[in-house]
Amino acid sequence: MNQTPRGLNRLLLAVIGLVLLATGVLALGLAAFPGLAGWWRRTTQGAGTAVENLLAATTLPGQRDSWLWIVLALLMLLVVLAMITWIAQQGKGRAGTLAADDVDDGGPGMVSLSGAAAEQALKAALAEREDILHVTVATYEYRGTPGLKVRVLPRKGVAPQDLAEDISAQVEALDLVLGRRIPVVVSIGASARSRLGRGDRVH
Amino acid sequence: MTQTHYHELPDEQDASDRFRDSLAARELHSSRAAASIVAAVLVAGACLFVLLEALLKAIGQRAWLVDPRDAAAWVHQLPGSVPPLILGTAGLLILLAGLLFLLKALLPGRLHRHAIPARRGIVVVDDEVIASSLARRARTAANVSREQVLVAVSRNLVEVQLRPTSGTPVDEALIQGVVEDELLRTRIEPMPQVRVQVSSSGVVGQ
Repeated sequence: MNQTPRGLNRLLLAVIGLVLLATGVLALGLAAFPGLAGWWRRTTQGAGTAVENLLAATTLPGQRDSWLWIVLALLMLLVVLAMITWIAQQGKGRAGTLAADDVDDGGPGMVSLSGAAAEQALKAALAEREDILHVTVATYEYRGTPGLKVRVLPRKGVAPQDLAEDISAQVEALDLVLGRRIPVVVSIGASARSRLGRGDRVH
Repeated sequence: MTQTHYHELPDEQDASDRFRDSLAARELHSSRAAASIVAAVLVAGACLFVLLEALLKAIGQRAWLVDPRDAAAWVHQLPGSVPPLILGTAGLLILLAGLLFLLKALLPGRLHRHAIPARRGIVVVDDEVIASSLARRARTAANVSREQVLVAVSRNLVEVQLRPTSGTPVDEALIQGVVEDELLRTRIEPMPQVRVQVSSSGVVGQ
C-alpha cells in the first residue's frame, strides 16, 4: 500500500517498449532484406530535406545555426526532468500521521496521532512471539487514507492462517487503543533467514 | 434525515469494499517499479546526450561525440554504413529489450502470493510460506525428515514430492488427505489442486 503510480508505470513502459520494438524491427529488417534499402534511403532523404528546410527557415539573419536547437535542448531538459519525477514517484506514500482529529468543535488545538505510536505498539506485540523472526511495521498513505503495512517473516513451517488469526487479534487490540479502525495490510513472507534457519520448534 | 442516512450507508460500504479490493490487488500484483526506474534512467541518459549536443550546436561550438548532421547522414546510409551482421544483432537486442518492457507493461504481473481471509485487515501470504507449512504437515504425517519432502505452491497447483524412508511405506492417499486438509485450513481462494507424488525409491539412513 503505497502511492506508486501503477497505471502510469504500465503506460510509460508500454510506450517505451513499443518505441524500442519498432526501432529493433526496423534495424533487423534493414539488415535482413537489402531490398528495403531503397525505400529507407528515399524516406530518410525526404525527411532530411524537410528538416534542412526547417532549419534554414528558422535561422535568424547573422546567426550560423537555427534557434530550433535551443528549443530541442529545452525539450530534452523537460523530458529529463519528467523522468526524474517519474522515478521519484516509485514507492512514495510513507506518512507520519496516522490519524488527526479534524473535527472543529470550537475548542483550541487539535489532536494528531503519529504513525510511530501504532507501529511500535504492533511491532512490540508481535516481536515477542517465538514463531516470528522479523516484523516491520510502516505507515503509508493510500488514496488519502493512512494505513499500516505489516510485513512478517515467520519461522519455516508456521501455519500462515494461525499467524493471520493472531495478528488480527493484535490489530483488534490496537483498534481499541487507538479508538478508530485504520486500514491494515499484513504481508507474510519468507526470508533468507527463515529459509536457512531451523524450522522445527516445539511450542 | 433517516432517508439520507439510509442512502449513505450502502455507498460508504461499497467505497470501503472497493478500497479493500484495490489494496489487496496492489499486494498481489507487481508495481513494476524496478522496470520503470530502469526505463526512466535509459530515457534520461539518451535525452541528456541529445541535450548536450543540441546545446553545443546552439552556441556554435564543435560537437562533443557526434555532430547531429553526421549522425543523420549515417542513419540515412544505414544498411551500407555498418556490416549487416552487426546491424542485425543490434536490431535484435533492441527488439528484445523493447519486448521485455512491453511484456512487463501488458502482462498481469502476478506475484507468487495468495490472499487469505482474515477477521481484520488484508492478509497476503507468499506461496513459499504456504509451501513450508504444507511440507511440515506432510512430513509429520509420513514420518520422514525435512529433506525428503518438497512442496511447490503455484496459483492453482500444489505439488508434493515425497521420498519415503527405505523399508517404511508411505500411503499416498493419506498424504493427499493431510495436505488438502491443511490447504483447506488456510482458506486461500481459489483453492489449488493438490498433486502428491511418492517416489518409488526410498532413502537410506534417515
